[in-house]
Amino acid sequence: MNWQIHLPALLIAVPLLGAFAAPAFANRRLRDVWFTVMIAATTVIAFLLWRRVGTEGIVVYVMGGENWRLTLPSGMKLPIRIIMEVDAFSAFMALSGSIVSFAGAIFSLRFLDRTTGGEKFVALYFLLTAGMLGMETTGDLFNFFVFLEIASVASYGLIAFWRNTPEAIEASFKYMLLSTIAALMVLIGVGILYGRYGALNMAAIAKSMRLGLPEKVALALFVAALAMKCGAVPLHMWVPDAYSQAPAGISCFLVSVSQASLYGLFRISFSVYGRALDTPAVAWIIIVFGILSMFIAVVMAVIQKEVKRLMAYHAVSQTGYMLLGVGVGLLALTHPQAMSEYGFTAMQGGIFHIINHAMYKGLLFLTAGSIFYASGTLDLNRLGGLARNMPYTTVMFVVSAAAIAGLPPVNGFVSKLLVYESSFAVHPILTVMALVTSILTLASFVKVFQSAFLGPARARFSEVREVPRSMLVGMTVLLVAILWLSFMPTWSLSKLVGPAAQALVDQAGYIEAIMRSGL
Amino acid sequence: MTGNFPFVVVGLVFAIGMALILFDKNLIKIAIGVSMVEAATNLFLIVLGYRTGGSIPVYTLAGEVKRMVLPTPQALTLTSIVIGVATTALMLSLIMLLYRHYGTLDVREIRRLRG
Amino acid sequence: MMLGTVQSGFGYWNVYAWIVFFALAAVLVFYFRSAGRSDYKVGTYQDEIFYGGNPVPKDGDEIAVPASSAYWGFTEALSPFYKLLLSLHTGIASDYVGYLVVTTALISALIVL
Repeated sequence: MNWQIHLPALLIAVPLLGAFAAPAFANRRLRDVWFTVMIAATTVIAFLLWRRVGTEGIVVYVMGGENWRLTLPSGMKLPIRIIMEVDAFSAFMALSGSIVSFAGAIFSLRFLDRTTGGEKFVALYFLLTAGMLGMETTGDLFNFFVFLEIASVASYGLIAFWRNTPEAIEASFKYMLLSTIAALMVLIGVGILYGRYGALNMAAIAKSMRLGLPEKVALALFVAALAMKCGAVPLHMWVPDAYSQAPAGISCFLVSVSQASLYGLFRISFSVYGRALDTPAVAWIIIVFGILSMFIAVVMAVIQKEVKRLMAYHAVSQTGYMLLGVGVGLLALTHPQAMSEYGFTAMQGGIFHIINHAMYKGLLFLTAGSIFYASGTLDLNRLGGLARNMPYTTVMFVVSAAAIAGLPPVNGFVSKLLVYESSFAVHPILTVMALVTSILTLASFVKVFQSAFLGPARARFSEVREVPRSMLVGMTVLLVAILWLSFMPTWSLSKLVGPAAQALVDQAGYIEAIMRSGL
Repeated sequence: MTGNFPFVVVGLVFAIGMALILFDKNLIKIAIGVSMVEAATNLFLIVLGYRTGGSIPVYTLAGEVKRMVLPTPQALTLTSIVIGVATTALMLSLIMLLYRHYGTLDVREIRRLRG
Repeated sequence: MMLGTVQSGFGYWNVYAWIVFFALAAVLVFYFRSAGRSDYKVGTYQDEIFYGGNPVPKDGDEIAVPASSAYWGFTEALSPFYKLLLSLHTGIASDYVGYLVVTTALISALIVL
């Protein structure tokens, strides 16, 4: 038997082992080795899983049994076990998230030397990884809720990691209040669907989906709660607080974790509801969320004076592109002609933007972290002239800022181009808003670059040196990923993004994979 | 009509909890509101799985019965209670730290991060 | 299909064409730079910063424009809009929960109706 059939379970089990063994490593060297090895193992597993999904199609894994029909009462047709279903979109998200978690972990190693209790940080970091990957690979609605809560609880702890600073506690509390309520809304939605269909498996629910009033209420709860978790305007208020107060390696990773909620939003609206949706209302809600997020967040970002807070507003704004792209795809879902003309391109753009954003926003947060590590401040009014002392960080910043602003030839441009050209077919105003957002993004990053890295040398930063090598390695991982995505656009689109978008559209295939599994 | 009574209770508890979170100024009372919303959700799940006159969903203990209460919502509720305990404990400890840093429990005064 | 070409359904885009373009631009820039004079005397007034005829301050802080002054005209022109936005970001946790509840209600109304 091939050990690779257990990859979905290993993807969750390895970070969980990392989490629960971590408190035992009080010794710094051992802790660093454990952290690096286990997070690298997780990344390798995610890569192997992605490759396996690419060659063999959807991977279904039934926990505790060879198939879900085992020990079912005769005549019962519902999959009731804990089932993980990994299609190309899940594998894509898991791959992108685990690369970012690897980079954030390597970056955090030297950060931890400045504090005590680093082993607790490592434990929470692994828990966050497990929660994120679980959300992205599960095929079960209730499991989705459980992993959502695991990821949330771990992130509350990590945001409040500098517990001597009042702002960190405040940010963590606000996030916690909002996201606890959102998670309970998800749970109520799951309960409503269970009450109607007696099943928790997404594919089983999707198979018998008939759109009635309870289903619509459940969908509204899912959309609102998950839009809040991924930080769409007007529910984004926690994002700048949380991202700016968390340690830099965590801010970098939290971007990917909130994309797991985005994954949940897309999975529920495409795979669970999908073709049963007879109204364009949901698609338009997602598009409006996208437009509002793009524009309002970037306008707020222009006036920020703190580097990480500014970047956090951009995280909200970039989420808008993904919502816009995939929302246009959802709008075209029931019209095959519109789908082939512009819908699929829009979805490719939105999904490509997910991985692009995970990489370059992660790198931007890491450069902000190294500015803080080296100079001790993130206030743009006090920073200046750092390019002299920190050449490598400057290069990383320039590449990722060009990527986020969508300057050719870097990767942010490709995904934005796909979104612009396809959303134009729906309504020109969507494209205009997206272009204005892109210009304002460039403007605010020019401001950061000019005030932090350029300008005359400051006397108080004369002692500033480049950050330690392990932090540079963490940043280089993401830099390589950005350059890879930039210079191999055809490969990325055909191997990475295309299958993911196809998997999201192919609702029948998603249902079929569960029903046929384990015969 | 009386069969829907539990759902009315769910709605009431949920509404009271939400009102506490939205309109009360004290952080401890907000935490109580979150707990009440959690309790309402748990009650909702339990009520979903209840069948009038049903017995416990264990084959070896139930004896000769025709109707059983659905087991899955009970498993869900247990999990959700455990998660609720964790979030409540964490929330209360964060409130404790907030009080230590800000010297107040008024939610309107804990707003250094804005704009 | 050409290497590195992305079809968007309405047009196409090629990353390598852009790289060639940037390489050409870089060659031009380096050419112009090398065409400058290199016979100035190091250590004399010729390689000093010209600061309006005044002595250059030692600390860069005194000649730098602070970041909060960037895009002053933009923010000033949009100040009513910014006032509205800033008044929404109150920083009060229960207001944020209120936005969540209102948005959920709106979404439910839109989907159900």
